[in-house]
Amino acid sequence: GVHCGACRKMSVYELHYFNNRGRAEPARLLFAAAGLPYRDIRIQSEQWPEYKLKLPMHQVPVLEVDGTMICQSVAIARYVAKVTGHAGKTDLEQAKVDMLVDGIDDVMTKKGDYVWHEKDETRKMEKKTAFYETTLPQFLSHFEKLLRTNNGGDGFLVGEGLTHADAWFLCLADDILLDFPDIFSPYPKLAALVERIRTYPGIKEWLAKRPQTPF
Amino acid sequence: MPSYKLTYFNGRGRGELARLLFAAGGIEYEDVRVAGEQWQELKPKTPFGQLPILDVDGTMICQGMAIGRLIAKAVGLAGKTDLEAARADMIIDGLEDLGHKVLPIFIEKDENKKAELKKEFTEKTLPPALDHFEKLASAEGYFVGNSLTWADVNFFAFLGFMTGFVPGDHLKGKVNLNKVMGNVTSNAGIAKWLKERPETEF
Repeated sequence: GVHCGACRKMSVYELHYFNNRGRAEPARLLFAAAGLPYRDIRIQSEQWPEYKLKLPMHQVPVLEVDGTMICQSVAIARYVAKVTGHAGKTDLEQAKVDMLVDGIDDVMTKKGDYVWHEKDETRKMEKKTAFYETTLPQFLSHFEKLLRTNNGGDGFLVGEGLTHADAWFLCLADDILLDFPDIFSPYPKLAALVERIRTYPGIKEWLAKRPQTPF
Repeated sequence: MPSYKLTYFNGRGRGELARLLFAAGGIEYEDVRVAGEQWQELKPKTPFGQLPILDVDGTMICQGMAIGRLIAKAVGLAGKTDLEAARADMIIDGLEDLGHKVLPIFIEKDENKKAELKKEFTEKTLPPALDHFEKLASAEGYFVGNSLTWADVNFFAFLGFMTGFVPGDHLKGKVNLNKVMGNVTSNAGIAKWLKERPETEF
């Protein structure tokens, strides 16, 4: 549900990003889970050189809330989660959510490093192999363990309900499953979590209708 | 008041933000510094095999910025509204991005490669980033609203860490950012900590 009904419902939310899931998708999933309307702006590449000049760090995603601009994907998703009641119930719970999100962000950054930044093809393949043989399995086994500490791991990542940690996790999962469909076989609780998030009311409908993009 | 135990290496690095925030709020905490075998024993008990960790009445929180945000909330430096908190968070994340770019310099052992990386960082990467931060800081020297938040404190911590291995007068001409630094160092608790804290390599 939405906190502070009247004042929240009247806010205007505009999410600026490219036509990709990328780093905007966690926020989109959270808006969808809450049925909270927002403008899903997708910038064309020709517009970008001029567009970026009005953004706080010349980057996207940016969430505009009644004209105030918030940049940085993790900050944006956390803000949307607070508005929609998916941030965690206490400061300590929120900290647990935050630490899981930061862990996912670290892994996504490592993946982005070889996908986008490494130009040398040989180094790229080396890094990709290291990612899938070392980095990711280490991360997923930590994560499976952490999930299991939350009521046996048969719910969501933290506390009783969906949080932005789950939104981020689905985005990571979507990404890595494209390369390796069996990546979750050693981690049954994580595999079940992915399905649980995919079928969450609001998210399920969004997944069926969202623009299909390669990443 | 919960009991807090911070565990990190014997350095500022990713542990110092928490220490500065505890100091700003006058909150007592155990400042544990580990190395070598002590760390190897502790490592598998941590959520991601990394430091810093903050133990809050038995609950273990990891990730420097998650820890920072929790302490910031406890000491009233997280922003006055959800939107202000988000503005603080975006500064924090922007500094993290810059940190990712500077870390390879810190890690690089080859002196020639290190010098090359330093040159690229100080000439190409740092200036536009500092321009953004200068515009985002107010004329009064605050990143968020009109009072100190953890965004200001983290900017100070990051500058201190970075300047340790990429020396230079990086804030020359940056009027607002210099005010931010002044606001942080003139906080009573922080000023006291800066006088008392151990001198460390990083």
